[in-house]
Amino acid sequence: MMLQRVGAIAVSDDPLHVPRACDGRAPDVFRPGGWVQMRQYRENEPVDFAIVGTGAGGGTLACKLAEYGFSIVAFDAGPYFRPLEDFASDESEQTKLYWTDDRIVDGANPLQLGSNNSGKAVGGSTVHFAMVSLRFRPEWFKSRTMLGYGADWPLDWREMWDYYTEVEQALKISGPVTYPWGPPRPRYPYRAHPLNGAARALAKGCEALGIKWTETPLATLSAPRGLAHPCVYRGFCVTGCSTNAKQSALVTWIPRAIAAGAEIRDLAMVGRIEVEPSGLVSGVHYHRDGAWRFQRARNVVVAGYAIETPRLLLNSATPRFPDGLANSSGLVGKNLMAQSNQAVWGRLEHEVRSYKGPPSLAITEHWNYEDKGKDFFGGYSYMSQGPLPQLWANTLFSARGLWGDRLVEAMKDYNHVVGLKIVGEMLPQESNRVTLADEVDQYGLRIPRVTYSWCDNDKRLIDHSLKFMRRALEAVDATDTWIQDDDTCHLNGTARMGSDAHTSVVDVDCRSWDIPNLWICDGSVFPTVGGANPSLTIQAIACRTADRIRALARQGSMRRANILSMQRG
Amino acid sequence: MRLPGERDLIVMAGIAGFSMALVSMLSAASAPAARSDTRLAPRRNRSSQAQTVETARKLNRAAGMLAASVLADSSVEHYRGSFKNKAMYTPLLVSALTMATSLHGTADMRPFAHKARDATYLVAAATGLVGSGFHLYNVGKRVGGFSWQNLFYGAPLGAPMAILLSGLLGFCSERVREAGRTRPRIFGLPAGRAIAAVAGAGLLGTTGEAGLLHFRGAYHNPFMLLPVTLPPIGAALLLSAAGDRSGRTHCVARSWMRLLRAMGLAGVGFHAYGVSRNMGGWRNWSQNILSGPPIPAPPSFAGLALAGLAALGLMRAHPDA
Ligand SMILES: Cc1cc2nc3c(=O)[nH]c(=O)nc-3n(C[C@H](O)[C@H](O)[C@H](O)COP(=O)(O)OP(=O)(O)OC[C@H]3O[C@@H](n4cnc5c(N)ncnc54)[C@H](O)[C@@H]3O)c2cc1C
Ligand code: SF4
Repeated sequence: MMLQRVGAIAVSDDPLHVPRACDGRAPDVFRPGGWVQMRQYRENEPVDFAIVGTGAGGGTLACKLAEYGFSIVAFDAGPYFRPLEDFASDESEQTKLYWTDDRIVDGANPLQLGSNNSGKAVGGSTVHFAMVSLRFRPEWFKSRTMLGYGADWPLDWREMWDYYTEVEQALKISGPVTYPWGPPRPRYPYRAHPLNGAARALAKGCEALGIKWTETPLATLSAPRGLAHPCVYRGFCVTGCSTNAKQSALVTWIPRAIAAGAEIRDLAMVGRIEVEPSGLVSGVHYHRDGAWRFQRARNVVVAGYAIETPRLLLNSATPRFPDGLANSSGLVGKNLMAQSNQAVWGRLEHEVRSYKGPPSLAITEHWNYEDKGKDFFGGYSYMSQGPLPQLWANTLFSARGLWGDRLVEAMKDYNHVVGLKIVGEMLPQESNRVTLADEVDQYGLRIPRVTYSWCDNDKRLIDHSLKFMRRALEAVDATDTWIQDDDTCHLNGTARMGSDAHTSVVDVDCRSWDIPNLWICDGSVFPTVGGANPSLTIQAIACRTADRIRALARQGSMRRANILSMQRG
Repeated sequence: MRLPGERDLIVMAGIAGFSMALVSMLSAASAPAARSDTRLAPRRNRSSQAQTVETARKLNRAAGMLAASVLADSSVEHYRGSFKNKAMYTPLLVSALTMATSLHGTADMRPFAHKARDATYLVAAATGLVGSGFHLYNVGKRVGGFSWQNLFYGAPLGAPMAILLSGLLGFCSERVREAGRTRPRIFGLPAGRAIAAVAGAGLLGTTGEAGLLHFRGAYHNPFMLLPVTLPPIGAALLLSAAGDRSGRTHCVARSWMRLLRAMGLAGVGFHAYGVSRNMGGWRNWSQNILSGPPIPAPPSFAGLALAGLAALGLMRAHPDA
């Protein structure tokens, strides 16, 4: 633990154990050792919104609502990192970014939780995400009606198109000058990054097979922005970016939120949402600094991602809501959707050094937009890959059983490894779900049990993608190709939005059907996932939700303070 | 401490050469012309002959400024490309030679063309042409062909043009110098107008290059708009002066060239600031000079502006030149 002198008092600076955002200030993520002023709210005076989680959903919403003048306290169970100082170029050290609290996994295809799907930090999973920032294919918002599977979203893609633009601007997404798929979109604010060896292999494979490819739109800077440096292409992205090039919520929405008067509470685990006799929620119980506390709030937004969100709702059950909050439909925790993340790997004669630069610099969304020649519903994109050495050794061990001399021998080829990996759509199934186990965690809260099994459609999609990617690799003369067939990424669903209170948990504005001052705003609200990484959509929904909350508050022609008694719009 | 390798030494020498040349060009540019005139210029026909020599020296200076920019820029960029192909040493050698030749020309008061200078300038021009071919080939063979990705990150198509321009201006300088008492002509064209046209076209080409690379940087700083807005106006002024037979003195064009000269030199400062905005700033110079904006590039605008000034001067002295 490091001791740092500030004025006359020595303060502990161990972000994993002692909160940093206190005493009217929060870490300045752009200046080593710096602080920014932060407004603080009293616990017994209700704030307009208590937001649980500060990731893609919660961080964005906190920023937008604060900028609209609402009083906000946003809680995160994780630490408040200073990327310039706290992040090492060391995979083991950086496991501190992952949510590794106890969870039980089961089902026919149990999910592997932690590094590849959940973060625990101010900024949420975006602190270690891979920055791929894709829009959904418009038809996916009506996949039941237009494509015959899954469920329709209550959102209109044209409205989403504008919110996507807002997020792309806010994160200064670096992308291709023109995007080859889907309806026109405005130019990305920053230009695409240079391709690395792995991306060039993807591009050549696509050209050989006659499909389109492009530079991946990424949330990392290709030119300076304010105090944030442009990307240095060292490729430590999924273990946290130490240059601030990565436009995570931690360095984008959160500083804006604080500047607009929001308070962030780090190392603050929310354990239960309080419900008044009236049936409205009145605040959150949270654990910080070794004690349970209570923050009063007029509205509560849950944004803990697709496992912690249903867990909190279920853990907050009361005699009035014995099945958990917002759960009259019985759907809280159900329809959990991961995305398939299978890969084909091979070896190229020349050096690839795929780990240089952001891991997925080139992409093809061909099979997201092409419906012909498929024996499955849904779509997938595939991207070039750049695994860091420890992850790669782990993959060789877990997927191929290599150990000892054989592992060492295989690792010698690390510079020649080339791989393609999908982000594939998995269909919503009620049996894939989050429930509560009887065991409790370090806070004494019941831990989640995550049940997951692939359906036949999921398997057919995976099969199709693996065959296709193998052809793509062989087309660039990759040898020794092999398949990694058990990986998944991204978690969505579990509190789906819809237009009917019986078949969804929240409405189009992310407001729960059952409790008008309880909102859910994160990846949980997805009715389907598509074959694109979800964070841009989560943030776009959060921007829309903020606009809707402002509109509802105005429409109710009442003081913001009374937003909880707003009529449904 | 690790001793610098052979390649590092070449690059350091390139950068040192660039700085020295820049300083000497600048001090030459600001030295009062009259002093040198009286020192060595032949008595006969003093005004017109001295004027042509003076113009020729100005053109040497412009060619040298461009060559210096190429030397430093290609040193850094080809070092970054690890001199993968032996031919990548060529622009370093040729631009160094061109720079030395130009310094020689700048100091030379005699009203005769110089064979070695002439030859060097022709080699420089040829290098520019061949280099452009190489760069085109490099971009075309990359996956995606002539796409934005490859225009941004492949070999810069416009860069070798700078050494071509340097050679052309140097060649013009020798023609002007040898004209002596007669009307200076280049390939049968009036020299002043021909040089104005070359410099104007050069400004447009260089603007294209700056435009492409500043677009790559998403114009994140509003000052990045200057080199894509000011030079085309300068080019238009030069080209219209080249076509103008009214004998006007082109005050606006002249002032604009001075503005462009200042812009080109200020660009060095802006790019140095750009380097500082990369991770580690100037403390991490050995990496950031390579990844930040190219510090030696903007003076090529100054070089072309100097050529423009020389051409306008020549046209003023010889209305039919
Ligand atoms: C390795 C990796 C790579 C990824 N790559 C991409 C990518 O390239 N592109 C893309 O679009 N997406 C990517 N993702 C997914 C993306 O990061 C997530 O989809 C997105 O961040 C989810 O947003 P969220 O707001 O739902 O949750 P999160 O961003 O995970 O935020 C949830 C936050 O809530 C906090 N929290 C949870 N419960 C509580 C509680 N009870 N009390 C207090 N705090 C709580 C957590 O600590 C966490 O910080 C990646 C994810 C990972 C892990
Ligand atoms: S490669 Fe770029 S985005 Fe990734 S960690 Fe390094 S600087 Fe950050």
